[in-house]
Amino acid sequence: MELLVFVIISAIAIVSALGAILVKSPIHVMVWFLGFILSVAASFFALKADLLAGLQLVIYAVAIVVFYVLVITTIPWEKVKMFEGFYKKEFVFALPAFLFTIGASIYLVISSRFSNLRQPLPKDNVSALGTVLFTKYIAPFELASFILLIAMIGAIIFGKEKANG
Amino acid sequence: MDKYYLLLGIVLVFIGILGIIIRKNLITMLVATEIMLNGVNISLVSVSHFLGKVDAQVMSIIVLTVAASEVAIGLGLVVSIFRLKGYEASEEITELRD
Repeated sequence: MELLVFVIISAIAIVSALGAILVKSPIHVMVWFLGFILSVAASFFALKADLLAGLQLVIYAVAIVVFYVLVITTIPWEKVKMFEGFYKKEFVFALPAFLFTIGASIYLVISSRFSNLRQPLPKDNVSALGTVLFTKYIAPFELASFILLIAMIGAIIFGKEKANG
Repeated sequence: MDKYYLLLGIVLVFIGILGIIIRKNLITMLVATEIMLNGVNISLVSVSHFLGKVDAQVMSIIVLTVAASEVAIGLGLVVSIFRLKGYEASEEITELRD
């Protein structure tokens, strides 16, 4: 049963990720990317990370995708010279390296043995994660809020430059 | 079982790198970056499931924060380049300022 769930999730994830990097139009890219995000959230549910799956749905599938679509629709495409293609020579040279590294990492992960200290995850994922987040990892958490503040200031500065120019 | 999810994360990271190498469109390159970050997230959560601790999920939350700020800054830069220069291919952006 677990294997079936994994096969379905990973097939959707890999196919939609390949679609997102191979499709031409930016809006079609966003549709494939939305499918990818939903399959990643499903894999979080399968790995019993409920809070992260919810955050993935709220932050990625709502906020980030809507932000991308908003930017794509506000760009005046008739004034912008559009480039939708691929670098063909780079594609030809990158594909064998891509397939080789994927094959090598599949071989390494399958043939290696992980350390065997399997404990069951705590039952209540949200309360366990909140406890760890606000006690042991409080400094990185505050740092994350600082990163968001800096990103907000940067976005405001970019917007002001456009208004003046 | 967790091994296979780890493999899925590795494959997604490589797909993102391939997308960054081959695409011309800047917005699609940002989407490929997001695919790489999601692959890292899947790897972290599978390790957390494997070890039975939730510490890796905290790091995954911080990766989500970085992804959100990366989208804000990256899309702001892309829109500025479009307004300023009128083109969007990664091969034509060869100078920092005129």
